[in-house]
Amino acid sequence: MKKFFRFICVLLLPLASAAHVNSPDVYYDGYAGPYHLLVTLRPPSVVPGVAQIQIRSVSNDVNEINILPLRMIGVGAKMAPLPDAAKRSADDPQLFTGSLWIMVRGSWKVQIQAVGQKGAAQLDVPLPAVSSSSQPMQTGLAILLAALGLALAAGLIGIIVAALRDAARNAGEPLASAQAWKGRLGLVLATILVIAAVISGGRWWEQEASANARLNYKIPNMKPSLLAGGLLRLRLDNPNESEPTRFRSEQPDRIRLDDLIPDHGHLMHLFIVRVPDMKAFWHLHPDQIQPGDFAQNLPLMPEGQYRLYADIVHHTGFPETEVATANLPSTAGEPLTSDDAGSFDLEPAEKVAQLTDGYRMVWEREGRPIKAGQPYWFRFRIEDKDGKPAADLEPYMDMTGHAVFLSTDGNVFAHVHPAGSVSMAAVKLAEGGSPRAGMADMEHNAAAAEVSFPYGFPKPGEYRIFVQVKRAGKVETAEFVAKAE
Amino acid sequence: MSTISATAHIDTASVRSHVQRIPWLVWANVIASVCIATGLYWDISWHETIGRDSFWTPAHLVIQFGALLAAFGSAWVIMQTTFGGDTEARRNSVSVLGFRGPLGAFIAAWGGGAMLTSAPFDNWWHEAYGLDVKIISPPHILLAVGIAGIMWGGAILAVSYLNRAEGDERKSLERILLFVGGFIIVQGMTLKLEYTNRVLLHSAISYMVMSIGTLLLLEALARASGHRWARTIMTGVYSAFVLILMWVLPLFPAQPKLGPVYQNITHMVPLPFPMLLIVPAFFLDLMWPIFKDAPKWQQALFGGVSFTTILIAMEWPFATFLMSPAARNPLFATVDFPYFALPTSPTVRHVFVAWERSRGEFWQNMALAFLFAVASMWIGIFWGNWLKKVRR
Repeated sequence: MKKFFRFICVLLLPLASAAHVNSPDVYYDGYAGPYHLLVTLRPPSVVPGVAQIQIRSVSNDVNEINILPLRMIGVGAKMAPLPDAAKRSADDPQLFTGSLWIMVRGSWKVQIQAVGQKGAAQLDVPLPAVSSSSQPMQTGLAILLAALGLALAAGLIGIIVAALRDAARNAGEPLASAQAWKGRLGLVLATILVIAAVISGGRWWEQEASANARLNYKIPNMKPSLLAGGLLRLRLDNPNESEPTRFRSEQPDRIRLDDLIPDHGHLMHLFIVRVPDMKAFWHLHPDQIQPGDFAQNLPLMPEGQYRLYADIVHHTGFPETEVATANLPSTAGEPLTSDDAGSFDLEPAEKVAQLTDGYRMVWEREGRPIKAGQPYWFRFRIEDKDGKPAADLEPYMDMTGHAVFLSTDGNVFAHVHPAGSVSMAAVKLAEGGSPRAGMADMEHNAAAAEVSFPYGFPKPGEYRIFVQVKRAGKVETAEFVAKAE
Repeated sequence: MSTISATAHIDTASVRSHVQRIPWLVWANVIASVCIATGLYWDISWHETIGRDSFWTPAHLVIQFGALLAAFGSAWVIMQTTFGGDTEARRNSVSVLGFRGPLGAFIAAWGGGAMLTSAPFDNWWHEAYGLDVKIISPPHILLAVGIAGIMWGGAILAVSYLNRAEGDERKSLERILLFVGGFIIVQGMTLKLEYTNRVLLHSAISYMVMSIGTLLLLEALARASGHRWARTIMTGVYSAFVLILMWVLPLFPAQPKLGPVYQNITHMVPLPFPMLLIVPAFFLDLMWPIFKDAPKWQQALFGGVSFTTILIAMEWPFATFLMSPAARNPLFATVDFPYFALPTSPTVRHVFVAWERSRGEFWQNMALAFLFAVASMWIGIFWGNWLKKVRR
């Protein structure tokens, strides 16, 4: 019973996701040739399993969309299975939906083939896939299976008794006492057999379930330590590393810590948020000392409890977020350099956040409530002190902006770009390029004083949105409050 | 003394019912066995070629048809015997939980019930733990037990009539029994496919797994049939069935519908060449007149050891041949690989894998192969002798 309880506890563990934290769905804003598409990929919670695909064409010139899954790198990225046709919605002709089987854990991409009035074109969207949970059996099904199991057990016992008692008798031959005794012996033996089968079957099931639970993705917990001079050391955790099995034709990606590739020119993007008020936020880029070991000089920071989220990307394009909680003393700090940015006196805004020099960031939010699980474009307009569109915006790490969506309990975290919730290094790999190449060609809305992020909250609750843009050579951070229903 | 007289009186009074013609349920179970075995093989090939699975794939439909035919046919006969007015049928029936009918019908109906139960169980298993990546799992074992129930139900039904039949009917029932026996071997070897891949045929694990139960069913059904070449015929049915599907399936064009794809697939991928069970089976048939009168333990020892020795002696060099360039043609089905087989996998590279990690482990598994074969033969002898008595 204790083991069973433990098993149920394992089943009830929260969802994990490789990219981000508890935010597994992929939202992507991209172009298949001339066609502007908003793509939502919902990976399966167990692998092998089915990913749900939703594609919205921004324009109405797309007639047909086909989808297929490919591995991100290697031979599996070159040979494709037959594509599936995404189904066009009868109510909304710009909406296409479909599903794809994802057969192994690791780094995948979904190839979207769009055919429309401007010809055929394709878009490759990264999809990290992990098993994150095991579903408990529904009560109704459990009752049904128990009833069928009891019937089978009773039937089996009855058959064995009949086989020993009746089967060898001639037609009409009365039951002799020896045969009756054989029947009774059969009853005892069959009952023992059924009980043994149920017990051994139950143990086997338990072993399979715990083996499966071991394969579930576990959010890595890095170990932070603060050294003299405000130097923060981060030792990465790798709870999902697995040795190759003895005899399998296909291995899931083996997660290592010595294979990281840069994303926006950095091996790690570290986000530090003070809790519970969430009014202090930094986006830093620690240096790798050795594989799995990073260091960062902290800026001026007040004492407090902080949540740390470190985004890294493996050579397969598989992204991970390492997490930690740390109580930090106040640090005199080093001045922020390079792409590091943040603030410790943010004021979360409903709609308008103040920036420096009288500038403002306005969330162009609609009046309607935000639904959990639905894709949205979160649009932010940057105005100068006169209320005119800011004219001095610059790319920040090759993008018009960066955003972090964080639940107020700290359990949901997503680092999102104008292109979506995927790692840009993975996007490069998906397109067949080098992840180390620059991101300039991924610029979204570069000239406009507006930045938008495609994203959907994974569950109802209170959230904070941290938006970072760069203007006049300085990174500005704004914070907004959001609620998903 | 009075009891003996009474029994003798019953026999001489021709109370036992002779079989005048082969009942339709026997034929239904034969068809069910063929359908299920064909569906299983087709389904595995489907998984290796197309990959995409659903309740309605043709292979699944063939299996489901076979299961429904056997289960409903058996249930119908049980209901007719229990509630109908056929006195003769009742006099030749067994009683299970208040119902009456032939023992084989009960077993087949139970098998159908087990298969039915495995469906929602397997579906939930996929949802909870992911789609199958292996054959051996709890819901699959329940399915396999159900299939075995249908096939053994068919065999025991045939046996019960065989033991009451004479002349041409008896000969026909013998042939039916051996035919169904061949499909029981097909089912058993299908379950063992993961361990009989040619890359493992120079490891002891293959022979250990093959020795579990094979002689049990071979010996039991051979004794029940009484046919001089029973073992050869049953393994011949198995070999012919596998070879036919191995050669026919690739004639159908197909492409993968799942990724990752590592092989260029243009047609259905056949399953491997059959194991050479027919050679030791033929040897046992050949030696049958010599060892049939020996004590049972000697029969088991001789049968188990000789069967395993000959199987290894044949399969080991044949596996070397299958790995060689000379075998790389459709005749031996070593040129087609599942879509998910990595180019670096041993199967694709035509190299053996050493399953056992040490010489000690190898010889331990080899010893177990002989032990399991002898034990299987021992049980098969008793099982076969009991089958010869089944009349209901």
